[in-house]
Amino acid sequence: MSTVVADYRREAEVVEGTPSPASIDAVIAAPLDVFPSRRWWVAFAVTSSMLGLGAFCVGMTLFYGLGVWGINQPVAWGFDIVNFVFWVGIGHAGTLISAILFLLRQRWRTGIARFAEAMTIFAVICAGLFPILHLGRPWLPLYLMPYPNQHALWVNFTSPLVWDVFAVSTYFTVSAVFWYIGLMPDLASLRDRTAQPIKKLLYSVFSLGWRHSHRHWVHYERAYLILAGFATPLVLSVHTIVSFDFAVSVIPGWHTTIFPPYFVAGAVFSGFAMVQNVLIGVRQAFHLRHIITLDHLEKMNKIMILTGSMVGYAYAMEFFIAWYSGNQFEQFVFLNRALGPYAWAYWTMVSCNVIFPQLFWFRRIRRSIGIMFAIGILVNVGMWFERFVIVITSLHRDFLPSSWGMYIPTFYDYGILLGSFGLFFTLILLFVRVLPVVSMSEVKAVLPGAQPTHHSHS
Amino acid sequence: MSTESPNRHWRSLQEAADPASLKGVAAQEFAPGVTDDFDLATLSPISRKRFLAMLAASSAFAAAGCTNYRDKGEIVPYTRQPEGHIPGVANAYASTCTGCHQACGTLIKTREGRPIKIDGNPDHPVNRGAICPRGQASILNLYDPYRLRNPQRGAGTGRTGDLSWEQADRTITEHLAQCVAAGRKIAVVTPPVYSPTLKKVLNTFSAAFSTTSVYAYDTLHEESRRRAWRRVHGDHLLPVVEWERARVVLALESDFLGTDGMSVEAIRRFAAGRDPLRSEELNRLYVVEGDLSTTGANADYRLRLRPDAQLHFLLGLLHELTYVRRAIPVTPEARRLTTEYPLQKVAEDYGVRKETVDHLVTDLLDNRGRAILVAGSVLEEDVHVMVHYLNSALGNTRLYSRDRMPPAAVAPSSELDVASLVRDMKSGKVGAVIHLDANPVFDLPAELAYGEALEQVPVSVSLAETEDETGALCSYVLPIHNQLESWGDHQRRTHTLSLQQPVIAPLYNTRQKEGILLAWAGTAPYSESLYHEFLMERWRAEVHAPLGVASDFKTFWLASLHDGLASTPGLSEGPIPEARRDALGRVSMPAPVEAYALMLTTSPFLGDGRFANNGWLQELPHPISKIVWDNYAAVSSATAARHELSTGDMIEVLLPHGRATLPVAIQPGIADSVVTVFLGYGRWNAGPVGSHVGTSVQGLLSRSALSGSRVYRGVSVTKTGGTYRLVSTQEHHALDDPFVKDFHRSRNIIQEGTLEEYRQNPRFLHEKPLELFSISKEVSYDGVKWAMAIDMNKCVGCNACVSACNVENNVPVVGKEQVAMGREMQWIRIDRYFSGTPEDPVPSHQPMLCQHCDTAPCENVCPVVATTHSPDGLNQMVYNRCVGTKYCSNNCPYKVRRFNFYNFRDHLADGYYEQEPVSLVHNPEVTVRSRGVMEKCTFCVQRISEARQVAAQEGRAVRGSDVTTACQQACPAQAIVFGDMNDPASEVSRYRAHNLGYHVLAETNARPNVTYLARLRNIHTEKAL
Amino acid sequence: MKHPFPLYALTGLFGTPDGITRAAEGVAAAGYTRFDVNTPYPVHGMEHAMRLHSSRLGVFALVFGLVGAVGTIAFITWVTLVDYPMVIGGKPFWSWPAFVPVTFEVTVLLASVLSVVTMIVLYFRFPNTSHPLHDTPYMKKVSLDHFGIAILASDPLFDERATRSLLEQLGAKEIAAVRYDLDDRAIDRRLFEPRFLGILALTAILVSGATYVSFNHLLYWEPFNWMSEQPKLKPQKPSPLFPDGFGMRQPVQGTVARGSLPYAFAGRPEEAGKYLVNTLLPTSSVLAVGKKKYLTFCSPCHGNFGEGNSRLRGQFPNPPTLHSDKARTWPDGSIYHVISEGQNVMPAYASQIPVNDRWAIVHYVRVLQRAHYAKESDLK
Repeated sequence: MSTVVADYRREAEVVEGTPSPASIDAVIAAPLDVFPSRRWWVAFAVTSSMLGLGAFCVGMTLFYGLGVWGINQPVAWGFDIVNFVFWVGIGHAGTLISAILFLLRQRWRTGIARFAEAMTIFAVICAGLFPILHLGRPWLPLYLMPYPNQHALWVNFTSPLVWDVFAVSTYFTVSAVFWYIGLMPDLASLRDRTAQPIKKLLYSVFSLGWRHSHRHWVHYERAYLILAGFATPLVLSVHTIVSFDFAVSVIPGWHTTIFPPYFVAGAVFSGFAMVQNVLIGVRQAFHLRHIITLDHLEKMNKIMILTGSMVGYAYAMEFFIAWYSGNQFEQFVFLNRALGPYAWAYWTMVSCNVIFPQLFWFRRIRRSIGIMFAIGILVNVGMWFERFVIVITSLHRDFLPSSWGMYIPTFYDYGILLGSFGLFFTLILLFVRVLPVVSMSEVKAVLPGAQPTHHSHS
Repeated sequence: MSTESPNRHWRSLQEAADPASLKGVAAQEFAPGVTDDFDLATLSPISRKRFLAMLAASSAFAAAGCTNYRDKGEIVPYTRQPEGHIPGVANAYASTCTGCHQACGTLIKTREGRPIKIDGNPDHPVNRGAICPRGQASILNLYDPYRLRNPQRGAGTGRTGDLSWEQADRTITEHLAQCVAAGRKIAVVTPPVYSPTLKKVLNTFSAAFSTTSVYAYDTLHEESRRRAWRRVHGDHLLPVVEWERARVVLALESDFLGTDGMSVEAIRRFAAGRDPLRSEELNRLYVVEGDLSTTGANADYRLRLRPDAQLHFLLGLLHELTYVRRAIPVTPEARRLTTEYPLQKVAEDYGVRKETVDHLVTDLLDNRGRAILVAGSVLEEDVHVMVHYLNSALGNTRLYSRDRMPPAAVAPSSELDVASLVRDMKSGKVGAVIHLDANPVFDLPAELAYGEALEQVPVSVSLAETEDETGALCSYVLPIHNQLESWGDHQRRTHTLSLQQPVIAPLYNTRQKEGILLAWAGTAPYSESLYHEFLMERWRAEVHAPLGVASDFKTFWLASLHDGLASTPGLSEGPIPEARRDALGRVSMPAPVEAYALMLTTSPFLGDGRFANNGWLQELPHPISKIVWDNYAAVSSATAARHELSTGDMIEVLLPHGRATLPVAIQPGIADSVVTVFLGYGRWNAGPVGSHVGTSVQGLLSRSALSGSRVYRGVSVTKTGGTYRLVSTQEHHALDDPFVKDFHRSRNIIQEGTLEEYRQNPRFLHEKPLELFSISKEVSYDGVKWAMAIDMNKCVGCNACVSACNVENNVPVVGKEQVAMGREMQWIRIDRYFSGTPEDPVPSHQPMLCQHCDTAPCENVCPVVATTHSPDGLNQMVYNRCVGTKYCSNNCPYKVRRFNFYNFRDHLADGYYEQEPVSLVHNPEVTVRSRGVMEKCTFCVQRISEARQVAAQEGRAVRGSDVTTACQQACPAQAIVFGDMNDPASEVSRYRAHNLGYHVLAETNARPNVTYLARLRNIHTEKAL
Repeated sequence: MKHPFPLYALTGLFGTPDGITRAAEGVAAAGYTRFDVNTPYPVHGMEHAMRLHSSRLGVFALVFGLVGAVGTIAFITWVTLVDYPMVIGGKPFWSWPAFVPVTFEVTVLLASVLSVVTMIVLYFRFPNTSHPLHDTPYMKKVSLDHFGIAILASDPLFDERATRSLLEQLGAKEIAAVRYDLDDRAIDRRLFEPRFLGILALTAILVSGATYVSFNHLLYWEPFNWMSEQPKLKPQKPSPLFPDGFGMRQPVQGTVARGSLPYAFAGRPEEAGKYLVNTLLPTSSVLAVGKKKYLTFCSPCHGNFGEGNSRLRGQFPNPPTLHSDKARTWPDGSIYHVISEGQNVMPAYASQIPVNDRWAIVHYVRVLQRAHYAKESDLK
């Protein structure tokens, strides 16, 4: 335990300059106290109207049935599952930053952890919608939970979809708890800053009466460590299990043992791209350049090049194994990906995920806001198409040529895709208005001179 | 700093205080009365109590809220229970199908006195328990919401709505009497009549109204064949071929396994000659055709030849047999005809493979008396003359059965008669027209302009079930009974007289059409028993009496009703007369072929269009093109290339007598420069489902087609530029695209061999046995374990199984757009694959249904255990547990699962199939699945449990032989076997053990329980095509 | 100095982490145990300075985790082996590898969430928003950038004067007394106060109404479909499609269903007696059926042994005995005819009793008669 804290003193400063603790609070809490700017309102209008469109499409789907989507026989999964996997993936960066980097004693995480965790939660919310929406009878999602029911039936514990239900709900709960624990001290500080009765009321309720007591800090830091310890295997397990949805099936192109590591790498990859994109926006908008520094962004870009290369390796390996297996179904599926009717999607995926991130080998590009932003967006596009390629091209031409078909998404598919982005960014915009986007207590703790100079009893 | 200042705005949040601090307080001495306030009671947390109270109240009342569950409706038992009718137990009535003129014997399954399924009558000597897809689906017409409920008056827009039958009778009979008085003609227009009793009714009517004349017409007639027969053999009874005895069959543009003649019987008998389990002697089928028909798809040798060159080819054949092989005595006619057409030359002129032709000739000669030639009814009379002549010259008449086909009681009128009728109608000579369940306005060639003529007739009556194109122009539309509400008899065979009895009282205010005529003829006022009595009377006098059987008439009659037929050998007329030696005398020299030939073929399922409003039939995929909900101009790829056409482009087909614009479908195997279109589509007043489906080719039909051929010369084809969406249930894969070519063979989906190969090495399929192993030990099934086997040697791909399954299992109709999106719902489908070249494709087909795999991939992935394995080895689907994740469908290697993307019944044509009384057609033993639920073949589990009940009543265990699935029952070829695989003696076990048996996609180790018997092609070489 | 409100603690503030660390060590050294240090962020080394034990939260995590793991395995085993074993994809009932993911997830869920709950409830005694320290200037400062120490009045060594001086020595600024806030007595304690009851009633009505509507109506509107009502007609259901409202229809006059030719001797008992012969042999199984059917259909009037002593206790005219000479000398056909068509007041049983069962009954009646007038030979 003590070692965790001892860490704080090794590296160089993670914040630029020497701001006072008070100024930290002032800067971070600023957006919470002032009335939203016109820029914010514009952004909010855009995202919420995207959300509205999505809601409309969802409504139509719920009323008329999945027929309004483009799915069919044989492609019975379409954008729904693609989006699900995509959003779950986005979430992973947050947990990685808050948990894994914490265990790895990466001080620099303090500036971005809070935000990344928030994004995790929002992304998982977006993801969580799709498993319910994609049901033929969406009013029966509880059938996927093992509870005593009138059918006297439990669930099928050998089905990856049941694993999904457990994995995603656990992931969401633990991330939320983790995030909330981190918020408690800051909420208390806000409680003590504000003068407005309503705000004070809310902050006091949600801070549960935190008193910055050291008798509490002791347990608090231990709990934080435990949560980080659990979240790390959890985050790895979640996308592993998501990849089981495909790997456990018999469909050529899905039935692949490489999927778990490949999916986790991809998830971290796209997640970091998304965090990087959003943080660039936030640090500009809220004058946090000295807290969310260029070094942060560069470090994220380095992680992207690592994971991106892992994904690229997976692509190559899939082809190799298909050839090496000598299984004609496998072989055709991969040829069909590269040369078949959906080749355009495949090559979009390859160029966005494997080729462009290689630019990050150059330091100048790693540190250039504009270019990294562009690449970040490309990576997300590419990762979305990766899921598209996996889901659609494997299904549309499987074993029996007689039942081959094509998948053409409809207006509603696009609408719901757009809507999920609307939901995500709407939540982010609300978040930056009502909660500190950077952990005040953590940042204060790593300010120069924040810790005792002499070192007794240890 | 005022620490003492109490802070007000905490009130609302009072919670229990920290006990530790209280102790501390108590420890201090303070002014009395101060410390008293420091016990927990004083800090009573009332808000919490209130909260709990609120919670309790809410939940209590919530519980109170969910009372009064939905009323499940009342019970309405029989007040007078008819003998032999037990609620929940099905009854069967023998009757006759009137879907087309073949008059198959049917066995109609009723539940609580309501028909729910039509099957073949096993005791009927002609169709032996099977009926065609159309017959299967025709039950939907009984419950078609579009049926008329009351008589109507006033044509088209002038329709004044319902009137009573009494009014109708009175006004019409008065008018008819006036016509007679004024000497104006009364025309009765009807399809050919095969019912002797209806003929008698018409006679009675004509007697009552002296100016009556009866006109029959049929655009799909076989008059050319019949006239040719008369020319060659002299009598008027067409022969019935006993295909099972034929070793060699040569079909010339004849789809005898599909749309040409009595296909149900032909398929059964033909398949019986191709049964590797019975004998290693398989028949050999040569097909010479321009279209690619079901028959052609089953050919061992198929030669592409344009239909207008058939005569040339036959002359060449005659020449070869007469002069080259010297097998047929030379006749002057033969010399006159054949000199210009040696087979060599014909073969070269029309690009027919010579060596195949040589095989053909040799086979015909080696199998004299065991070979048969048959020509399609679309061809002209002379071709049939040649065919009949050659058959008898080669002694093949031995294959004809003694049971023969008498002409219709009212035979189709000649084109001249029909033309003169139209003329008389125009000139006002005709005072009244009565359409007896006929729709000439749609059927007759456009050049006759029947519709316009009809408007000149003062009184026109349409007796029909629905208001069709003719009805729309008639001054009276009188609704008649559906076939399931009607009495009747039909004579299609000299030895067999089929009976038709109603299985339900009329649903609406309709009448039996014969009864209407009788009532008008004044024999007696109309009553439901009127025609019933009339029928019995005729049978007493004309059937029972001549037979001279011992039993009294009543017994005879009831027995005949029970069996659905009476056998009347007395009517047959001795042996088949030999061919006249001068039979070829009037055969004219063939006309030279021109740029294009057009052939108007028969729609495989809609027939002449009478069934257009039947969604089940519209959605049956065409056996070859797999196109649904449309007709189209099929052309070869070469022809398409010449006009830069691709599938879906619109073309205009121009003939001297008319034109039509329709979409093109490029179809492998069609002869170049040939356009084939099938009739029966493009009805404009067929009902919500059937109207404006496909294109009407009335314009292309000529008046000569009424009694002659439907092959046309002098055709010109132009591309109009528009495009149209043709929808098929199977993605078309380019035959020559190496990327996907012959996957069905490389993946061992279709496994075929040649008869030679099989003789050499019976186990040729199993040279390299698969090594399949499993990490867990297999589940053992004791007792019955259900399995199916399908013999691909017998299956011809007729779709009867699909249609039967639709009816048995309440399969919804999804409509064209949904099929286009790949959402058809049929539980069993006929997969069609091509190998070879686009010019000469080798088609293979395969019925594909749920394989009920032992280690079913679909089951593992279902999160809610909605699909599991039953103790008798069925892969079962629990509808009300299914939430519709569709994962099972994704994980099914065979893609046989079907998902209800919508409530399809509500979705099609503004909820047409949710209108009443459609609900009555649904099998009460089968769930009507809701939207969002996955479904698939259940091996007819409802029939299995029915068999189990019967077994339980008889106090025994259920046997594999107790159950017949709907598809098995419907299969004319008897290619489907179902039963208990645990019983080594059962037939299905024999199939599973057979050398030709294989499982599709066995390497996935799903352990399927449907065994396919590899098809053997009976060709001269050893290697497969 | 007396004060109306009791004292909670004395607080002192420090400006630097070093200062507070020294202060904590000092206070602890002076022997105080009930004191606390409040800092805006965890100051390293403080737990040593304050002489605190390190947290035991880890133990809880371990326990919860184990509970989750074992519990899940046990539950799944019970489900798949005991409660509802099913053959799924031909796999063994207990295919443990497939259970790993769920087990892992539940373990993580319980371990992490429950440990946090334990911390908050057990260690922090949260939620508690009315602590004396709350909303004091002291708290405002320590939550921003100051470091504070609070010595509780409940500490055995606590003496206001001495403690204050100790804090002064340690260099504390702004030493202040924090007192309880005791203004709780004004709170309304009555539960049955009309306004509250009103709200209570309103909730009740709303909730019950809502549940009623949704359970009995809403859930049956489009698009919901439970397949409990399907567009098909089951036996003994009414149907508005037929004018008489009966879903079950009568067969059409004069038609003949398979296997049920109409009774040939309708209205001709003599001929029935003459021509009809029993189609069954009096085997034990046939007689068993006959007995069953007789007792079901015949005995109510004819009595269990055919003596014509009705079980209806004379509420219905007693039928003649079946042991009359007439009945005994009757041919089987006549008895069959009477069962099928009835006679006098006896109705026809044709629709209730299938043909074979009627013949079985005839056999059984013969048995009864034989038993009634047993021959010598029978008694042996």
